[in-house]
Amino acid sequence: MTKRGARAFFVAGTLLSALIFIALTIDSHRKIPELTNAAAIDATVIAGKDVWHAYNCINCHTLLGEGAYYAPDLTQITAQRGADYLREFLKDPSRFYSEERDGRLMPTLNLSDEEITAVIAFLGWVSKINTQGWPPRPILVKGSAVPGAVRGGPAPTAASSDPVELGRTTFNATPPACGACHSISPGVNLVGPSLAGIATMATTRLQAPDYRGSAKDVAAYIRESIVDPNAHVLTGPTYAAGGRSLMPSDYAQTLKPEQVDQIVAYLLSLK
Amino acid sequence: MRYSSQRVAYPYFVVAMLLFGLQMAFGMLAAAKYLGPDPLLHLLPFDVVKVIHTNLLLVWVLTGFMGAAYYIVPEESRVELYSVRLAYWQLAIWTAMGVTAVVGYVFGWTAGNKLLEQPFPLKIVIVVVMLMFLYNIGMTIRASGRLTTTEGVLVAGLACTALLYLPALFEWDNYTLSIFYRWWTVHLWVEGVWEMIQGGILAYLLIRLSGVDREVMEKWLYVIVGLTFISGILGTAHHYYWIGVPRYWLPLGGFFSALEPLSFLAMAMYAYYAMRRSGLSHPNRMAMHWTIGSAVFSALGAGVLGLAHTWPAVNKWTHGTLITPMHGHMAFFGAYVMIVLGMITYALPGLTGRSEDSRETTAGFWSFWLQIAGMFGMTMAFAAAGITQTYLERILGIGYLDTQLKLQVHFLMLVATGALFVAGVALFLWDFFFLAGRPVAAAPAERLAPARPTA
Repeated sequence: MTKRGARAFFVAGTLLSALIFIALTIDSHRKIPELTNAAAIDATVIAGKDVWHAYNCINCHTLLGEGAYYAPDLTQITAQRGADYLREFLKDPSRFYSEERDGRLMPTLNLSDEEITAVIAFLGWVSKINTQGWPPRPILVKGSAVPGAVRGGPAPTAASSDPVELGRTTFNATPPACGACHSISPGVNLVGPSLAGIATMATTRLQAPDYRGSAKDVAAYIRESIVDPNAHVLTGPTYAAGGRSLMPSDYAQTLKPEQVDQIVAYLLSLK
Repeated sequence: MRYSSQRVAYPYFVVAMLLFGLQMAFGMLAAAKYLGPDPLLHLLPFDVVKVIHTNLLLVWVLTGFMGAAYYIVPEESRVELYSVRLAYWQLAIWTAMGVTAVVGYVFGWTAGNKLLEQPFPLKIVIVVVMLMFLYNIGMTIRASGRLTTTEGVLVAGLACTALLYLPALFEWDNYTLSIFYRWWTVHLWVEGVWEMIQGGILAYLLIRLSGVDREVMEKWLYVIVGLTFISGILGTAHHYYWIGVPRYWLPLGGFFSALEPLSFLAMAMYAYYAMRRSGLSHPNRMAMHWTIGSAVFSALGAGVLGLAHTWPAVNKWTHGTLITPMHGHMAFFGAYVMIVLGMITYALPGLTGRSEDSRETTAGFWSFWLQIAGMFGMTMAFAAAGITQTYLERILGIGYLDTQLKLQVHFLMLVATGALFVAGVALFLWDFFFLAGRPVAAAPAERLAPARPTA
């Protein structure tokens, strides 16, 4: 090869690659609005993006897997935790985590209420971006539903029509990401209380004098606590604030009735 | 050194080395924060330390590149620099920008876009400085009318660096679009046009140090940058997999990322060939060490370790784990830090007017090997942490915080090997500032040396 030939290789190769790249960029630029649900980007989401940038969040956290690696990925955090929890968390992270216990703690940023609303809206929009299936399994902030065990394995969706099995699958899917806050191991209380033996526990609670809900039996109690978490609020360090549960209260809308039935069936099996 | 205006490279190298030292302080601080309770949590939280660590790297490496260009271009074009005064002003504004950015980050003044955190006014200053630089270089080459392939590749790389910074000036309401175009700057810099700069400096150093035939070296330089762009431009796809773009970027990213090691491999072979031909006869052996080291280490860090996690089926699990800094640290060090240190080591005797044979090299050798060992150890620590994190957090589904607590031993290794690396850097700075001597005043005879061609 002569120097001339080498130069021709460089020029032709670079131009060709650049042309293909630009063509694909134009195509992607056209398709990104649909893939990212851009119609949902309103003023609050944009304000939330500005909050995300202004507070340098990306230099500890990752979002869509991009950022620093010092704090958890937040791609699906709104689906995992819900807005009520995130609002309380952002007001004072030290209520939920401690450096001694967890190794790391997010500094309190003194965000205003509007900033918190905006950044939660932004993260909510991000959680619905079509990420081509990433992450393949939920990335949890803390804990694991079954310590040390493989979670979210092959989903037995079509293979089984057993409501308990279907409920287990829904429980571990994101959303609703029940397992991100509730373990099913005895005594392992994550952000929410452990659900081990909930069927047995519910019987006791239904008979307790301070029970304020309207359920009459165990299945109804579990259903009520899913679709209306504020009907009867448990006290715990990270369970509630100001008498209101921090659990997302929109499962009545976001889950199909049969999905709720299945989760109830699954939880009833946890005796 | 043949032209007195080449001496302007010295203050550029001084600024680069000072910022390099500062970058180390913030790097050690960031590593220490992985170990647990952080006494500086409210004073200097991780995000501030990290943004300063990465931004200092970008600024000082670019300072080194510009200094290198001011040293190389007059020599290649056989003419004095167009304006030494402009070069000094450029350095002053650039340094002021860098210092302002660092101080600003401490007080929370940030654009918050990864690696492009420079607030908008500072971004404008960066563009202005780059234009000053390109004007100065462009006018120099124009005055001589002589443009070698080596300096052409170097200058084209720097011009494209400026051009590709422009997408960073735009804001998008759609976060996916803002990361999509952010990679035009970040990826096409480090896996595209900066490799041109590395290739240009590498070719210059190899020609000077080994005395191999320029025609042969420049022919292969074209092949190397050709391979870089063929694989690198479409290799941008490996940053696009999971951010909300069409699916075709996945196979594309897998294929072209797999080609990316080729250009680094070619560079390593290139350096090896030059060394074989000359048998390391140049008296500036340390410059030879850094030059060959850069070619080899970038093949490992950028080539092999990049490939280790860009295949889509692998990246699906490793994306966003400590696997990324494993690759990032070694790649940046090998490709860009080592080539700048090589350039400085090569230019120093000329700049200070000392004989190359009389250079004290014990400190230089220790500095080289401590940095090599330290960076290798840090890469291993990040690799062990990243692989464990991928397995526990991504595959077993154990929470992020619980997983991080299980990685403590690797973070200890990171701090220990980081300390080795910093010791190597400290020796380099000591050698640069105290052993190598200061630049001598330009002798009148030198000024009269090959002047501009008479028109």
